[in-house]
Amino acid sequence: MPRRRTLDPLTELLAAVLLVVLVLVVNRWEFSLGVLALVVLPAVLLSGKPRQIGVALAVVAGPLLISSLLLHGLFFPEGVSVLATLGPARVTWEGLTFATMMGLRMAVFTGVLLTAAMTLDIPQLLAAMTHRGWDRKLVFVIGSALGLIPHVALRAGQITRAQQSRGLVVGRSPLSRLRALLAVTTPLVIGLLTDASERTSMLEARGFSSSGARTSYLTDTDTTGQRATRWVMTGVVLVFSVVWLVVT
Amino acid sequence: MSSPLTLAPGPATQRPRRVLLALGGTLILATYLFLVVLQPAEIAGGVGSTASLVSLFGFLGGGALLVAGILPTLSTSSLVVMPLGIALNIAIGQIAGSLGMQIYLDAIGTVLVAVLAGPAAGAATGALSNAVWGLFNPFALPFAAGAALIGLLAGLAAKYGAFRRVYLAPVAGLVIGAIGGIVAAPVAVFMFGAAGTVGTNAIIAAFRSMGDVLLVAATKQGLLSDSLDKIVVFVLVALIVYALPQRAVRQFPFARNHRVLGARSAAVAPGPTPSGPVTATPPRGDAAPDA
Amino acid sequence: MMRLECHAYAYDDGGAPALADLTCEVRAGEYVVVAGASGSGKTTLARLLAGRTGGDAGAVFRGTLTLADEMLLFSGNPDDPRIDPAAWSAVVAYVAQGAVGQLSMMSATVAEEIAFGPSNRGVPTGELVRLVGEVAGALGLRDLLHRDPRRLSGGQLQRTVIAAAMMQRSRFLVLDEPFQGLDDTAAADVAAALDALRAGGTGVVVCEPMLPRSAPDGARVLGLEGGRVVHEGPLAEALTAGLGRFGIGTAGGSPRLVAGTEAVGGGRPGPGGSRGSVQVPGVTAAGSRELVSVRDVRCRYRSASKRPTSGRSTSRRDSSKRAFSRRNPDCRAASRRGDASSADDHGADTMGDGLRGVDLSVVAGEIVAVTGANGSGKSTLLQLLNGLLRADSGSVTVDGTLITRQATGALARHVGFLFQDTDQQLFERTVLREVSYGPRITGAGKAEALQRASDALERVGLGEFGGSHPYELGFVQRRLVALASIMAVGAPVWVLDEPTAGLDAATRDLLAGLLLQHAAGSGAVVLATHDAAFARSVASWTVRLVGGRLEQIDAG
Repeated sequence: MPRRRTLDPLTELLAAVLLVVLVLVVNRWEFSLGVLALVVLPAVLLSGKPRQIGVALAVVAGPLLISSLLLHGLFFPEGVSVLATLGPARVTWEGLTFATMMGLRMAVFTGVLLTAAMTLDIPQLLAAMTHRGWDRKLVFVIGSALGLIPHVALRAGQITRAQQSRGLVVGRSPLSRLRALLAVTTPLVIGLLTDASERTSMLEARGFSSSGARTSYLTDTDTTGQRATRWVMTGVVLVFSVVWLVVT
Repeated sequence: MSSPLTLAPGPATQRPRRVLLALGGTLILATYLFLVVLQPAEIAGGVGSTASLVSLFGFLGGGALLVAGILPTLSTSSLVVMPLGIALNIAIGQIAGSLGMQIYLDAIGTVLVAVLAGPAAGAATGALSNAVWGLFNPFALPFAAGAALIGLLAGLAAKYGAFRRVYLAPVAGLVIGAIGGIVAAPVAVFMFGAAGTVGTNAIIAAFRSMGDVLLVAATKQGLLSDSLDKIVVFVLVALIVYALPQRAVRQFPFARNHRVLGARSAAVAPGPTPSGPVTATPPRGDAAPDA
Repeated sequence: MMRLECHAYAYDDGGAPALADLTCEVRAGEYVVVAGASGSGKTTLARLLAGRTGGDAGAVFRGTLTLADEMLLFSGNPDDPRIDPAAWSAVVAYVAQGAVGQLSMMSATVAEEIAFGPSNRGVPTGELVRLVGEVAGALGLRDLLHRDPRRLSGGQLQRTVIAAAMMQRSRFLVLDEPFQGLDDTAAADVAAALDALRAGGTGVVVCEPMLPRSAPDGARVLGLEGGRVVHEGPLAEALTAGLGRFGIGTAGGSPRLVAGTEAVGGGRPGPGGSRGSVQVPGVTAAGSRELVSVRDVRCRYRSASKRPTSGRSTSRRDSSKRAFSRRNPDCRAASRRGDASSADDHGADTMGDGLRGVDLSVVAGEIVAVTGANGSGKSTLLQLLNGLLRADSGSVTVDGTLITRQATGALARHVGFLFQDTDQQLFERTVLREVSYGPRITGAGKAEALQRASDALERVGLGEFGGSHPYELGFVQRRLVALASIMAVGAPVWVLDEPTAGLDAATRDLLAGLLLQHAAGSGAVVLATHDAAFARSVASWTVRLVGGRLEQIDAG
């Protein structure tokens, strides 16, 4: 982590969520565009890993934006101002507008949330949840899942190689692929379940079932100021949303 | 006996928080009805902001309430297998991709947990899976309630015998996939204008070109692709659980008590029959940690 | 004092009792080695000491467990006392086999993982940091505290798990095969950690498949066979008591070769040291077919990004199908995945030297042992031989086939590969199906595949277990199942990664015999091993990987 962290992860996440709410409530392209240009873009650039986040954004949102544009741009039966007709497809002004509006919404939605998530320090997030007294079972499931993902991917890779060594060749037919998937998944699941049974005993032995609040090895990054900020932010967005929805 | 080293007799599991479960279920149902019954007109004209807000918070909040209601009831062994299901959902989705599969397979972990640990654990796995996934891909977030439903239904199906015969699994997959598709469609429509991959959108485009409203087209597409996906997922999970050693299955009270799996020999795809004496007792494991 | 009196312990599936009439007592500061072959009941004993009576898993235990002045009586009834695992582990800590399963997986650093237990009990943050610091200092883990627990080497991981288990200063520590798969250095580190704990008064119980060559002063041995104690006494006495008749061998001893195995097919070729297989590749003894030829192979590790391979790029309706591409993996891929298969090369953050011009020639009838420190590239070299890795330059020819672009699976008929972690290979629901998978997939008909599978199972002594589930067998038998899978395919070249790790004496002897038979039948074997005595007994010659090059060691 090159950047000294000053904000509690929960504050960061909440801010991102509230921003998404605002975008959805206001529902104006000017506002969405403004958020993209004035909030998301600077945040990405200052994150210390703009490339990484940029690629992730492109990979996650890119295909959706393109297919959305194709879908609504070409097939929008409700559209009346036809710009072009290409066989069964009709390019309509309404379709293009709809695609743009939706695309903008999706871009802001991913942009805000993904940037927040990717600048997030996951261990610190888990620590924050623990310090705030969240249910220990919930923190365990989320934390353990996040920790297992790379482990499962690594193990799946190893098993794939082991099965290739025994003669597994993945053919082109769907059946051959499913069979290959099974040859990899079965030992993967057996191994993970074996580990899980040991992990169950470990959790019991390490007092996971005890009642009372858990603590975290990592120091709490939360402050009274931030706690107050979170309440104020939530309140302001809530009041604004109600007013806006009633007025418009 | 009152030794400090022993536990008091009797089960220690907590009762479910029924209020939270009821609230969560109601919220999800109400959200769905609101979207389907009241809103279809709006989507034709433009991007409804109320609809998207409602779908985001209705489904996400409902999922959160369900998880909050379910978690206290789960035993440690169910709890430990849930992260595994979540990680499998994500990792197998990727392997499927690397093998060039045309289906998502991103519910294998959820269904596996549901079959082993029951509907409650399955539902919580589904919801949390999408929440965790949301950290990598925000588009997964609003689908949390749908994923919870898949886990819940898969667990119920397992409880009532859908995995006692391998040929029943695809039937359950078909039905549950269809339900999942119907539930996911309004979320996709109202949040993201039904944007998906080029493949799924081609199907939607086909229905749209026949004049369907977006919600209807997306629902039809969901019915098609999600049931196909869930058929494959359920069959794969059935094959996996039948390939598990008995002890791995027996560590889960749900699978044990509800006889989720049928008799082994009959249920598995044809293959060579063992020639050795089947009754032989395996050497007692110095290395079978699940003994 | 901790005392177990076991009258009988049986699983509910009707097998013979896993333990019968056995007493085990451990005092403070004592070091007890429980030695026994696979199936002797070590793990059951260890788990009982750890307070896991298995009542909820359908096992029946009759006997008593005594801790200090507290005696718990078990009569095999449902109303037996149920041990509180948290309270028990505060007195008796337990480290099971397979350290990964004992990680919570929610800790990003070793320090957090060690703190997992006390943080569950609500120990405040500042206190946690102090406690972790103390334990880490005592066990020599200070430098590892910031590391990712999932990316440690075997020995580091073992010490981390020990530290996590011992956070409550338990008076006893029970470990099941803590040295399995570790090389000498890593094993010494773990042993030092145990010494440190014993110095603090902790009684240590270590289960091992064989008698250790050395152990701390005053170590006591409990020899097990068939769930009964067959020997009890100081280690020095046990080493000379002829426990071999109970299947308890001595670590580091030479395998006993069954008469006849050595001579099949005219015996193995003489010591090849003078043949110069390393220095002058391609010069082969007259008349012998060259089965493995590695010429000037270079395989360089490039800087590896430590980003997890998954995550960050999945979309719900997945748009990133590229995450696991199917390119031919190169050496970089290996280092990125950090999966050099041998538990110690495995996942370590430090990358080895790679290979810098390796030549190797193995002819039919030869067994070549490859030694070298962890990270020296042994696993890399091995994986080049069946195309799991591809060299940057140079050529690899196996059984007359030049490995270029073929899929690894297509080479299975030429090369049989045994991973150290054999569990990654097993996926069928019966042993027989498992072993016949190889022949089937490499083209044999169903009947023939089954025949070959049964033959192979007979040869590894598992003929009667054809119908069992592979995972219902013990670790040692699973290794044999994997070996039988290779044998059934009939590939002329066998490549084995640490094949003796964790084996008991009988299986090690059996393995030695099978390797010699294979060589005698015009096959060739290349094995990576830390087991010098095994290499000396079976290998035609031995090479050592140093600095990315092979050095010839005097012939075995």
